[in-house]
Amino acid sequence: MTANTWQRLKSDRYGMSGLILVAGFAVVALCVWSGLLGQGWSEVSGNRYESASASHWFGTNLLGQDILQRTLFGTATAFEVGLLVTLCSTLLGTVLGGLAGWYSHRWPDEIILWVKGVLDSIPFYLFAAAIAFALQGNPWAMHLAMIITFWTTTARIIRGEVMRIKQLEFIEAARAIGLPGVKTVFRHVLPNTFHILLVQGTIVFVAAVNTEVILSFLGLGIKNGVSWGLMLAESSQEVLAGHFGNFIAAGTSLFLLLMGFNLLADALQDALDTRREFM
Amino acid sequence: MTPPALKIKELSVWLGTGHGRAPVVDNISFSIKAGDATGLVGESGCGKTMTAMAILGLLPASGVSVRSAGIEVNGKDISGLDSLQRRKVLGRDIAMIFQQPATALDPVFTMGQQISAVYRRHASGSKQHIRQTMLGALESVGFSQAEDIAAAYPHQLSGGMRQLAMIAMATVCKPAVIIADEPTTALDSSTRTLILQQLKRLQTVNKTAILFISHDLAVVSQACQDVMVMYCGRLMETTDCQSLFSHARHPYSAGLLSCIPRISETRPAPINSIPGQVPVATELPAGCHFAPRCTRAEAQCRNSVPKLDHENGRGAACFRPL
Amino acid sequence: MNTHVQSAGVPLLEIRDLSLRFHRQEQVAVDRVSLSITAGRTMGLVGASGAGKSTIARAILRLVTPDSGEILFKGKNIGLMNSQEMKTTRQRIQLVFQDPSVSLSPRRSVEQTLMEPLQHFAIGDMNHRNEKIREILHTVGLDESALRRYPHQFSSGQQQRIAIARALVTDPDLLIADEAVASLDVSIQAQILQLIQKLQMDFGISILFISHDLAVIRQIADDIAVMYRGQLLEQSPADPFFSHPAHPYSKTLLSFAAGKTPSNWTSDKWYLERSRRSADSTSACVFAGFCPDKMAVCEQIEPAVRDIQHKNQRALEPHCVKCHLYDAEQTNDQ
Repeated sequence: MTANTWQRLKSDRYGMSGLILVAGFAVVALCVWSGLLGQGWSEVSGNRYESASASHWFGTNLLGQDILQRTLFGTATAFEVGLLVTLCSTLLGTVLGGLAGWYSHRWPDEIILWVKGVLDSIPFYLFAAAIAFALQGNPWAMHLAMIITFWTTTARIIRGEVMRIKQLEFIEAARAIGLPGVKTVFRHVLPNTFHILLVQGTIVFVAAVNTEVILSFLGLGIKNGVSWGLMLAESSQEVLAGHFGNFIAAGTSLFLLLMGFNLLADALQDALDTRREFM
Repeated sequence: MTPPALKIKELSVWLGTGHGRAPVVDNISFSIKAGDATGLVGESGCGKTMTAMAILGLLPASGVSVRSAGIEVNGKDISGLDSLQRRKVLGRDIAMIFQQPATALDPVFTMGQQISAVYRRHASGSKQHIRQTMLGALESVGFSQAEDIAAAYPHQLSGGMRQLAMIAMATVCKPAVIIADEPTTALDSSTRTLILQQLKRLQTVNKTAILFISHDLAVVSQACQDVMVMYCGRLMETTDCQSLFSHARHPYSAGLLSCIPRISETRPAPINSIPGQVPVATELPAGCHFAPRCTRAEAQCRNSVPKLDHENGRGAACFRPL
Repeated sequence: MNTHVQSAGVPLLEIRDLSLRFHRQEQVAVDRVSLSITAGRTMGLVGASGAGKSTIARAILRLVTPDSGEILFKGKNIGLMNSQEMKTTRQRIQLVFQDPSVSLSPRRSVEQTLMEPLQHFAIGDMNHRNEKIREILHTVGLDESALRRYPHQFSSGQQQRIAIARALVTDPDLLIADEAVASLDVSIQAQILQLIQKLQMDFGISILFISHDLAVIRQIADDIAVMYRGQLLEQSPADPFFSHPAHPYSKTLLSFAAGKTPSNWTSDKWYLERSRRSADSTSACVFAGFCPDKMAVCEQIEPAVRDIQHKNQRALEPHCVKCHLYDAEQTNDQ
């Protein structure tokens, strides 16, 4: 199955370019984490608002910090936020959505749906601010806020899928030998949702990174470090004064990474869609 | 001499697969006269549905190529039509009845709306006229409560009723040819009998030609006068139903017949089966496709392809027919 | 080797007066059905779809709970079993479904699928289990290389073989085949029927074969039970059933199966029959509205089940019918 999927993905030009973009950024992030790149994001290495030159490829910002260094570090931040939020919210959403779907219309489902409904009704940015306040400026407040609210979308999708899958005969076969519900869900039902989760995961990644940008504008973004969101927030004043360095660097990087993910998500969805097997 | 209602000349369909192009329909030719019903029989994957889709031009443009020397409905070749022209032909001159009426019908429209929509596409008239025609189509397939059926949604009807409604939809414009793809497979015996009765009526009353596709030889024998047996994209035998059942000439046809369970007063002998498996489309054997499973195969069968030889409308593609 | 020793006189499976109605449905799915299956024989359960056949299969495995009645497996009441006893029972009764492409778990390899029952029921140790699944694969005509592959990589005939292997791996006493060959092409169907017959001969398992196809049933069944709208109308050994069926509905079924329309049948009648709801039913006998031999009493009094064992029958297999035509017979309550 995965061999076929890979074949189909390879033949999709847009999808492959998306994959390459994402992979490229991922490599940069790895380099930053391992200390090879972007380490000078906070040091003041030049005069303020220097334009692009040999020593500062993207110029410097208000404080004389090297924009390139900050952009590279921002890649790592984007991946950190994206991966953490995606993995945790997907896990949470899958487990809760799976249980809700399996026990649909019974009390576990009712409770989970109720919690979901409450969380979905709270304006997100208000919620993020509340969490930040409650956690006294903890650097992980932002991630936590996102995880707590993003799982609901995944859960809704998984719940629907589980409700569909549990009608299929191989689930009945599991029940016929007396396999307990929880084992059936984890062994037989959820593995059939992986293709959906993969696509959903890429969507959540994009949402997480986008959300971080807005949180940075609100001052609720990253604390120790720099992100593209923060750079964009900084640039909102600078641009009026004619200094575009921050804006172009952060804006372009953001655009390219998210575009890459979007292309990849669409292509993955097509490649994983086994019903397109035409015979 | 009036041309036959449906005439297919050397139709072939290739699927472009990763491992090389495999012909899923290989040079099929046949014709059906007005008012006749011919069965196209074969197992899953033999290419019979592909044939129907190719005739109607419903195969996707990419990854599939269709070639023929002619697909003629009442003498008019429809193989070269572009999609706009083709849309005029489908439903009016040639129509299809699908296997799964549950999924072939749109769940958000009533039967009346769906049948009227087909009619409106090809003819015009006042609302009254369209409604009368639609109700007439329903009545002609045996619904005495046509108004009730017209007002019903597909899920409100049982499987057999849906299939009858599908037939009404296919025949509302009185097409010359109907292709029925496994119309009775999902239905029980009483419903099946009813559907077959209705199809027979179409033949006699409207002089419709019917191409009846099925894997079930028994049903085909009830519904059709002639039958074509298909295997791995090729026609193995064409003859009339009675002859096939009394004396099949192709070993595959004979094999299929011996597999059919029969009802008998005494306990039947243990059932026969054809040894081996149907080959995958990408690994078709050279020569006669059936040779590896055939008890009568010789070297010639493996090296060259036997042609269907017609004599008096009967033919078997076999070097050593029974 | 026949490992299924059965104490004489006790049927392997006995269903007594089983009734079941699904929530939110007005039609009763199973209506006071009594049936018995003898060890080593194949019972063919026939009837149109919706007659209640699959529901009975589910009730036997306690996948649905009956409203009343009992099911006895080897003399013990399934409804009263605790979870441990039920687990043991489930080991002895296995189910094969209609559509193998959805009855096998798509993301589990054949090995995992075959191992699961052995692991769940804690049968044998690793060595024994490995041997067992290889042996079973061989019995159903598949090669060991199948173990590593996934269901979608097999043809439908092969998939059904895998499903049968899964059912047999626990050495069940009773195999329930629910329309097990209905979605298969006729030549594959023949292969699977051959396989099932061979398995019965080699292992002596009993089979409950559910089908709407009388020709298939003729091939494989020793006894026939006919259901209509949840009720059991006739139970008979196979030969008498096909030579002189007792119940008018049985005769109708056989007529249709032979492609002949029964004399009293019109398309209006068919339409009425299809769209009928139980609330519309005014007659006592469930088939009266469509019966070619209907009498006045059929509308008023529900027929009782009559025992009509013929005297020239060697076997002691039950032959009973629920029809007023046989009221003159001695009432012999089973």
